[in-house]
Amino acid sequence: MIGHEVVESSSRRVVEDSLGDLTTRRLEDSININYAPMSANPIVSAKPDWSRLVGDSLKQRGTWRTYAKLFEARRAYPDDLSLRGYIEIVRNTIVREFLAHPKGMQAVPKLSAEFMSNFDRFNLNAQEGYLVSLIDGRLDVQKLLILSPFDPFNTIFILAKLQAENAITVPQ
Amino acid sequence: MNYAPALLDHLPNAIGVITENGAIEYRNHAFDETFGNDAAQWIKEAARAVAGERGWLHGFFVDNDDLRSTDVEIEGRVYRIDRIMRVNEGEAPAVALSFEDVTREREAEQAKSDFTAQIVHDLRGPLSGIQGTLEFILSADTKLDSMYADLLQEAQRESERMMSLINEILDFSKIRSGNFTVEQEPIRVAGVLKRAVRSLQSVAARDEIFLISAHGRDVPQIIGSVEKLTQAVINLISNSLKFTPQKGLISVGAQIERKNDAPDAIVITVTDSGMGIKPDELQTIFEKYKQSGTKSLRGGGGTGLGLYIVKQIVEAHGGDMSVASVEGVGTSMVLRFPVKRAA
Repeated sequence: MIGHEVVESSSRRVVEDSLGDLTTRRLEDSININYAPMSANPIVSAKPDWSRLVGDSLKQRGTWRTYAKLFEARRAYPDDLSLRGYIEIVRNTIVREFLAHPKGMQAVPKLSAEFMSNFDRFNLNAQEGYLVSLIDGRLDVQKLLILSPFDPFNTIFILAKLQAENAITVPQ
Repeated sequence: MNYAPALLDHLPNAIGVITENGAIEYRNHAFDETFGNDAAQWIKEAARAVAGERGWLHGFFVDNDDLRSTDVEIEGRVYRIDRIMRVNEGEAPAVALSFEDVTREREAEQAKSDFTAQIVHDLRGPLSGIQGTLEFILSADTKLDSMYADLLQEAQRESERMMSLINEILDFSKIRSGNFTVEQEPIRVAGVLKRAVRSLQSVAARDEIFLISAHGRDVPQIIGSVEKLTQAVINLISNSLKFTPQKGLISVGAQIERKNDAPDAIVITVTDSGMGIKPDELQTIFEKYKQSGTKSLRGGGGTGLGLYIVKQIVEAHGGDMSVASVEGVGTSMVLRFPVKRAA
């Protein structure tokens, strides 16, 4: 699963990523948050340049890792309203990419062979579990949206997450 | 030699140093000439709390902003009162205030605003007629030549744009004239978002853009104006539609912020996969007459008032607003409203 931690120091804060490989790498080239030099008022912290950071991270790390890092950054910046917007931009990108499937809403998701044989490995939450229970290899995305108790955007977002984790496939 | 008293007496503005309980500790000549001996009476009234409401003088003592300015009507004239400084040398805390008679300026502004509102109102009538006619022709079961159908659709798009410009000017004139009030009614946020999405669904479909909801039904109520909040969300979606390419996505969401397990605020987001805003424009995007340097995909410019008006609506509801944007990826407008609970 995706995981990372936020490391703070007095002069700067670096969101570190422990994704995928075993070595913990500093993502100074993606989410590296530099504070301005200490000023007379130490309470005022410099706001990260989210626009550039998110743009760079999307190019270099892709949508899911950027999403995970931003989600974690929310703990460090709970009052930063714009950060909520950046998370939504990344979520929007994930859903749009899912909808860009050649068959669009008529695409039919199927449970992956890996999921069928080893579903314990997938640590699904209640919402994901519910959607997985609807996937029978015949219902297309349009019908899943009708049957899903969740709103359309979040339903597609969960499907995209299941696809990213190889729990489902969406054949062309 | 101390020149200060003489200088103050030569200033055209009335200046007075007034304590919190309404005692005048200092007054210059202009103050005496403007208000005479009646000043003591209305300043006492301004300092008094009536029916739990504090008078305007109170604001100059509690507000910590360096600059504070307010318009006050005194004996039939409108004065702009500016706080020059706080004075803490006497027995009671005091403030030095400058009074400038702005009655004529305000009357002129009001007349200009009334004129604009009247013109805009008069323009809306015939335009509504044109829109209705176009809608009827396009929806009627007539076999239009595709060229004529395209031309009529173009006319419909342009009339929608003109109506939106007219509405923005009307709202702006209301804001400028101080007639921009917000009703205090319970708002079902989920219903407002649903209505806003539905009202623009056909426009999105026409431009081949996905416009979808990203919120459940269990969104707490907030207090304010259903009409104005709907208008704010529609403005934001309309804006997104201008800058989102075909096959793009616009999502309209609502999230609940909790404090001590109780809903504390509602965060509404309108997010698009459009062209994004340049980083150096993000700081000024809510200023009036400010337009993004990015060119609209659907042609034509706007008044540059849309986002300014939305921000005024949000602030009139006690909320705040922010923007997030990544060039080439998309933009998200974030609105946060407090959830007021019954006392």
